[in-house]
Amino acid sequence: MTFLQFVEGPLFYVAAAIFVVGVVYRLIGILRLGGERDLARPNGSATGGAILTVLRHFVPRRTFWRGSSFHFVAGYAFHLGLFVLLLLAAPHVAFLQERVLGFGWPVLPHWAFILTAEVAFAGLIMLWVRRFVDPVQKLISTSGDYAATILTFLVMLTGCLALQESHVALRATHMVFVDIWLIYFPFSRLIHTFTFFFSRAQTGATYGRRGAKL
Amino acid sequence: MQNTLLTSARTSVGKLGTGLALLLVLLMLFGATETYAQSVRAPGNAVNLDDGIEDGPSNALGDDSQSDFWRNFRGGDPNDIKQMLEARPEGAVLTTTGQHWRELRENYIRKYAGWFPLGVIALLLLYHLIKGKMRIKGGFSGKTLPRFNINQRVSHWFMASVFTILGVTGLIILLGRPLIAPYLGKEVNSVLTSASMQGHNLFGPLFIVALVWMFIKFVRGNFFQWVDLKWIFKLGGFFGGHVSSSQFNFGEKSWFWLVILVGIVMSGTGILLLFPWLVDDLRWLQLSTILHAGGAILLISVLFGHIYVGTAGMEGSIDSMLKGEVDENWAKEHHDLWYEEVTGKSATEEEGTS
Amino acid sequence: MTVQKAIDKFVEKTGAKVASYLDACVRCGLCAQACQYHEATGDPRHAPVMKFQPLQQAYQASKDPLSPLWRMIGRAPKKVTEEELSDWQDLIYDSCSMCGRCTLACPMGIDIASLVWVMREGMSEVGLVPPEITKMAHAARDTGSPIGVTAKKLRKILDDVEKKYDVKMHLDKPHAEVLLLDSSLDYEAYQPTLAAMAKILDRLGIDWSFSSKGYEASNLGLFSGEESIARTMVERITEAAEDMGAKTVLAPECGHGYGSIRWEAPNLLGRELPFEVLHIVEFLARMHKEGRLKLKPESRALTYHDPCKLGRRGGVFEEPREMMRDLVTDYREMKPGGVTNWCCGGGGGVVVIESARKLQLESFKIKMDQVEKTGAEGVVMSCAFCHMTFDKSSEHFKWDKKIEDMVQMVERQMID
Ligand code: HEM
Ligand code: SF4
Ligand code: SF4
Repeated sequence: MTFLQFVEGPLFYVAAAIFVVGVVYRLIGILRLGGERDLARPNGSATGGAILTVLRHFVPRRTFWRGSSFHFVAGYAFHLGLFVLLLLAAPHVAFLQERVLGFGWPVLPHWAFILTAEVAFAGLIMLWVRRFVDPVQKLISTSGDYAATILTFLVMLTGCLALQESHVALRATHMVFVDIWLIYFPFSRLIHTFTFFFSRAQTGATYGRRGAKL
Repeated sequence: MQNTLLTSARTSVGKLGTGLALLLVLLMLFGATETYAQSVRAPGNAVNLDDGIEDGPSNALGDDSQSDFWRNFRGGDPNDIKQMLEARPEGAVLTTTGQHWRELRENYIRKYAGWFPLGVIALLLLYHLIKGKMRIKGGFSGKTLPRFNINQRVSHWFMASVFTILGVTGLIILLGRPLIAPYLGKEVNSVLTSASMQGHNLFGPLFIVALVWMFIKFVRGNFFQWVDLKWIFKLGGFFGGHVSSSQFNFGEKSWFWLVILVGIVMSGTGILLLFPWLVDDLRWLQLSTILHAGGAILLISVLFGHIYVGTAGMEGSIDSMLKGEVDENWAKEHHDLWYEEVTGKSATEEEGTS
Repeated sequence: MTVQKAIDKFVEKTGAKVASYLDACVRCGLCAQACQYHEATGDPRHAPVMKFQPLQQAYQASKDPLSPLWRMIGRAPKKVTEEELSDWQDLIYDSCSMCGRCTLACPMGIDIASLVWVMREGMSEVGLVPPEITKMAHAARDTGSPIGVTAKKLRKILDDVEKKYDVKMHLDKPHAEVLLLDSSLDYEAYQPTLAAMAKILDRLGIDWSFSSKGYEASNLGLFSGEESIARTMVERITEAAEDMGAKTVLAPECGHGYGSIRWEAPNLLGRELPFEVLHIVEFLARMHKEGRLKLKPESRALTYHDPCKLGRRGGVFEEPREMMRDLVTDYREMKPGGVTNWCCGGGGGVVVIESARKLQLESFKIKMDQVEKTGAEGVVMSCAFCHMTFDKSSEHFKWDKKIEDMVQMVERQMID
């Protein structure tokens, strides 16, 4: 077995399994910590509040628009860019079709891929840079925050370095970082991909029940 | 201190970053191994030489004489890219300007380019060994002045990140053949160059974004003034003597305009190289590669000086770009006019102690 | 002091909700802009996210689903130390009014104020509560009121008020339909408000009474972090209401007192309560809507300050505004208003903490500026704690805006 076959095959499957099992374990673990039912008489709907808060916090409120605009622009540039690349890049769809799912879907043309990658990179670099020049972020960031950013950056970078799709070594490099990233994911701050939903829903439900629209 | 909870975790960031970077390099070098060097897949638009053209057409000369043949070969407009790209029959196949361009690139640029940044580094080392770090007179006062706001800082480091990626990938593309291939092998060079080209093309447009952003955020305060003349005569105070300056001194202003102006050239030539069909004349592209390489070497060389003054060379400088604040004593010493402007106090008199 | 007790408390109080919050924070720092103490000082330490760091550490060390793994590979976070906890004291008490504004700016919607509450619970286990608050909380537990208004004293105060303001003060009336509460702040300092409440209820023909068993609405246990005191306080009220057979308990103009009996009490006591709880303004708005309470608007320009515990954390926004629109001809909304309204900076006990005085005053400038910008001649509120913060601060700044109680205005302007 060549190195590429190894990182695309067994190692990838192991990494993907760790990713899935790890995420599920951690999320269930959080939920299992439980909590008590709110016994106060409701003044509004908890479910409605939860849905509202989950949706509303996708966009900063008017008052915070100025103070949040940087993170809003850079954050969306990166996150949307990443999701588009993840799901619509031709090599990714081909890989998933071949290895995992057995079916594919329409993909981005090359120029759109490049453009998306540029947007995503711009966003990620801005978010990373902000971490060490903003006094608050600098104070509160831990190694885990930097690690998640650096690792994600490297996954994206190696992917783009392999764009010519002619060198096996580059492809293998990208796969190695993908595997590391998948393994690292459930144990890191990257879990916010899922916990954002828990957090917003909890707040929305608690205060929605009290009739406050947060 | 308040943030004791967070500090311990923060120290491992450096180690982690280094580790991952090392891994990246190792994996790239992995291309050197026998199996991987040979497992190169042809790009989609490559021509397969096995498709029966190796013998050439049987009657290549036709009815032409030998000299007619060569005339035709060079015929048409030798610099018309479209004729070439579309392989029109009247198009040229061989150009002489191309030969000159290649000689310039191979024999001069590729040969000597690397010496400039190295030379700058050597000079800086020498200066540092002789003069040492420029300390703040009277040490840190503990009081700070705001110097760069958050947007200025972010735009600076955004530029620095993009520039670093472009610099590294660009140098590999330019100098890979003379510097990597002979030592690590053509295979490694091929892998690294392919990767670098993709990375360079991808990040190029981001440089333009960074350049515009940085221009907008920094142009205020960067126009030249009369005091700058004195700064030049006193050699910036790097060899002793006190120099006056406003928010930015002559050195910083020059660096700013160098980045902006050369940056514009780099952007323009870069766009041409990315989208060659934008021009009709091949010589534009040849000129572009020359200017692009020259500009890069210039910027990278001066950058080392910039990094030196910003970090090891001058105490207290880096704070301005990280925290956005500088120590008052630093400001008094290096930017006295600016200090007086923002504080309304004199930079030379001691503050009253009463 | 053994720091372990605090850590145990942190761990005990960490359920799915707290864990979701702790595991969702991405350290973006966006919450900082929402907090009046951060904005007033610009000190990054005052960013709301800083406040829950010890809690996060304790969680990761023992309750995080991943903590067995961290321990196994020897990467478990260090234990929170005594020194760290005392370093955090001013972040948890002096510079957090638990106003919940930061939640609105947080992209993850983290309810940082509820995490601060857990922090306070832990801190109170190891005696890190500011002395002013401890004193008042313990007084409330022992005498029934944070400033020593005992049942006996209450009787005297009500007698005095009866004479002074010519109003009937019902105390311990058997089988009253409505149990009225008030806070010691009103009993002692803002008696006109106390009298106004009684007058309105009488004029509306409500069958109401105070009870000497449970009369104190404020709940200092909710400031200090001592859950047992918080429980004692609501227990007294609940028992009083049940003895009386009251259908409704009316919380006075006291934001946290309302939250205490309306939202916390059932959960502190672990059972649903057999009576309805309303804030006095909610009640008045209901009467107003039913047409039983008619108002004669005055031609003044006034704005309304949302007490955090009533608005953001209680959901009462519309009712006071309905009243305002009928109380004055020119009602002005603050910007930002409603759910994003700035906190006065004195809640959560901050206004009584001596060491927080400077910070509180500094943060009040934001509020003053907000009121100034409406161009109104004064500001109305429905919380004695806010009122005290406004009074103290405007005295300090020699601020000339009128500070009004909504209940008093209603009493002046209601038509029979
Ligand atoms: C990576 C290492 C770098 C370091 C350590 C660094 C450090 C600094 C520092 C400390 C300053 C502030 C000087 C002052 O207080 O006046 C500064 C300013 C500046 N830097 Fe950098 N820098 C780096 C890279 C770059 C790059 C790659 C570029 C652009 C290609 C760049 C362009 C500038 C410009 C234009 C200014 C503003 C100076 C002025 O406006 O006069 N820097 N840098
Ligand atoms: S709850 Fe209010 S006071 Fe406390 S941190 Fe959040 S914004 Fe600041
Ligand atoms: S805004 Fe929310 S997610 Fe961001 S640092 Fe503050 S608490 Fe954490």
